[in-house]
Amino acid sequence: MTLLRTPTALLGFTILVVLALIALLAPLLFPADPLAIAGPALLRPFQDASLPLGTDRLGRDVLAELVHGARTSLLVGLAAAATSIIVGSVVGTLAGFIGGIVDEVLMRITDAFQTVPGFLLALAFVSVVGPSLPVVVLAIALSAWTGPARVARAEVLSIRERDYVAGARAIGMHPLKIAFREVLPNALPPVLALSSVIVAAAVLTEAALSFLGLGDPNRITWGGMIAEGRAVLRSAPYLSIIPGIALVVTVLGVYLAGEGVVEASAARKVRA
Amino acid sequence: MPPLSLNRRSFIAGSSVLLASTALPTIGFAQAVQKGGRLIVAADSEPRNLNPAIVASNGVFFIASKVIEPLAEASYEGEDGLAPRLATSWEGSDDGLSVTFKLRENVKWHDGSAFSSNDVAFSALNVWKPLQNLGRTIFKDLEAVETPDATTAIFRFSRPTPFQLIRNALPVVSSVLPKHIYETGDIANNPANIQLVGTGPFKFAEYKPGEYYRLTRNEDYWGDDTPYLDEIIYRVLPDRGAAASALEAEEIQLAAFSMVPLADLDRISKVEGIEVISKGYEALTYQLVVEINHRRKELADLKVRQAIAHAIDRDFVVKTIFLGYAETATGPVPKNDPQFYTGDVATYPFDVAKANALLDEAGYPRNADGIRFSLKLLPAPYFNETRQFGDYLRQALATVGIEAELVNNDAAAHQKAVYTDHAFDLAIAPTVFRGDPAISTTILVQSGIPDGVPFSNQGGYKNTELDALIDKAASELDETKRTELYKEFQKLVATDLPLINVADWGFITVARTSVKNVANNPRWAVSNWADTWIET
Repeated sequence: MTLLRTPTALLGFTILVVLALIALLAPLLFPADPLAIAGPALLRPFQDASLPLGTDRLGRDVLAELVHGARTSLLVGLAAAATSIIVGSVVGTLAGFIGGIVDEVLMRITDAFQTVPGFLLALAFVSVVGPSLPVVVLAIALSAWTGPARVARAEVLSIRERDYVAGARAIGMHPLKIAFREVLPNALPPVLALSSVIVAAAVLTEAALSFLGLGDPNRITWGGMIAEGRAVLRSAPYLSIIPGIALVVTVLGVYLAGEGVVEASAARKVRA
Repeated sequence: MPPLSLNRRSFIAGSSVLLASTALPTIGFAQAVQKGGRLIVAADSEPRNLNPAIVASNGVFFIASKVIEPLAEASYEGEDGLAPRLATSWEGSDDGLSVTFKLRENVKWHDGSAFSSNDVAFSALNVWKPLQNLGRTIFKDLEAVETPDATTAIFRFSRPTPFQLIRNALPVVSSVLPKHIYETGDIANNPANIQLVGTGPFKFAEYKPGEYYRLTRNEDYWGDDTPYLDEIIYRVLPDRGAAASALEAEEIQLAAFSMVPLADLDRISKVEGIEVISKGYEALTYQLVVEINHRRKELADLKVRQAIAHAIDRDFVVKTIFLGYAETATGPVPKNDPQFYTGDVATYPFDVAKANALLDEAGYPRNADGIRFSLKLLPAPYFNETRQFGDYLRQALATVGIEAELVNNDAAAHQKAVYTDHAFDLAIAPTVFRGDPAISTTILVQSGIPDGVPFSNQGGYKNTELDALIDKAASELDETKRTELYKEFQKLVATDLPLINVADWGFITVARTSVKNVANNPRWAVSNWADTWIET
């Protein structure tokens, strides 16, 4: 596979596969409620074989929290990326394909969303609607869809002048059908290349929201764990460091894998 | 008094016996006072309304009590636990229909006008009674305030009002405002609600939102020699984690109200030049309370409430969440209260098996997933400890088959959800016991309270027997009988569980050792700091 030729891509995908496995297997690895109190509070890592990463302020198993936290982080990352790519490409396709006033209106709306810092938008949205997982996903997507929209529009603008589009028009296909059946699929690859950036940013945004107490309190999130650990940063730094490392590794994995995809597609283009 | 064990964990109890602490205050005066200097303290909130006569809350008092004074302040050594401030003496009539205050002479407002009984009359009738969160209950029968001369104010009540209650409430409810500034215009929107004008030892100089409050020495203060400090700066540090490092770096000299996280105390107490002080909060004991919405069919069942009470491991809460800096609670009056507390009430020891049995009996069997029913749990966001207890309670309920969904809100949204919209099943509140159950405790279980009153019974609980008892105690003039009625009250609350009291805690002050006369009265953090000084 060309995708795994470069060592960075290989590393990225390995990290992602391991993380995905951990997230999927979390209920089997730690079948008990990860928020349950499992031992004495503030047990340091590597002291007790049954609690290898120690316990937090309430005596909850840090390893179990970490593993279940991976589910939330990846879920939010993927869901937010999927939502923003779907919304972005639909908006971009419509703007590019129809053109004229529709293009103007949609692109000015995109501009408006782009000028507001994404994190502030998410922060405001969550604090108004109230924190829960779907809301957090929506909040992140709210600021992330503009990138895919712009890229999709640019692609569509070039594709819509191609011969096969003219052909589809000539045989009387409905314009919307042309837009979404013929144009969008061909405009998609460069948009998808954005997904790694969006996933990584979404994971970080989710962590930041949880850190500020705006995550879903009924789920374990790495950001929430760091926030919890902050109160005891001086006496039990491992409570912040462990989820912090998990976060770094995840984002690194996603970036490296994304890099790999971009390089692979560039290589394909060169050969073609 | 109940028997008290004096280990480290019962620190509140340790300093509880006000009578026994009579010997303490004289010790600190061996050193000569040094005048001048600037005290920088950490502030974690910026109240929108800084007027203590309207908003009688600790967040406001922390800053405003240095500028605006009450008639009397709490004291370790004074008679009835009080020390004079703007009033020099107070006396209640036998029929409970009047209280006479003798006021201090030669007191000036910060703008130079003279303080007189008219200011007291105006504050009582126009502010405390109609506008103040606590005064509304305490002064509800206040009819008139007579001012025969400039230094006498006679409060007339339409119904007998216990003098014991008025006395116990004085430090909290009697902040006096200048009549000449407040008599025109809307009191609630007066600019002096932020730019305070008072009679206190410090003048309000400046407020920079998000940065600091600055108070400066009042040269014309009535107290001899005091205040000692030239300036007090409240540095706004909303991040509780930052207070500890700011203290170590000597950027601030004092952090009150447990701004230094409890988990950090052990470490910081070993740092040279810093001391950890658990005294000085006896008259403002906080209570960790589970508020219950009795509109929920399951929670209206006493057995379910008993089961929840049995599911909570109070010792774990004190040991793990409060790291020992708290005391388990048995009812609505904390163990450290010298006048009213009784331990002779129904208790709910930690017993999961019993809790499960009670829930089975109540007719809520576990379904296939082991869940009996689900409910919404709203922990108050004000303290780390209330949030952590929310996490704990969710788990404690899970062990007895009740699934609790946590809902986190910011302070404003939480107040609205619980006290106005009643959109909760269980909530966790840090209520305050202020030295008399009639001040802010009976309101937690009394029925007929309008929507939107924070820290009141908004759970739809109604118990005519309890209401009658509260009414009776509210007009009982005999102190012994009144105290007995409140013991009855505690028994009834513990038996019927309109809410569940889990633990009582005081706060911790962490200060540089150079700050002197810290914690020398039971409301120290919210008192006037006239005698506080800094050693250079």
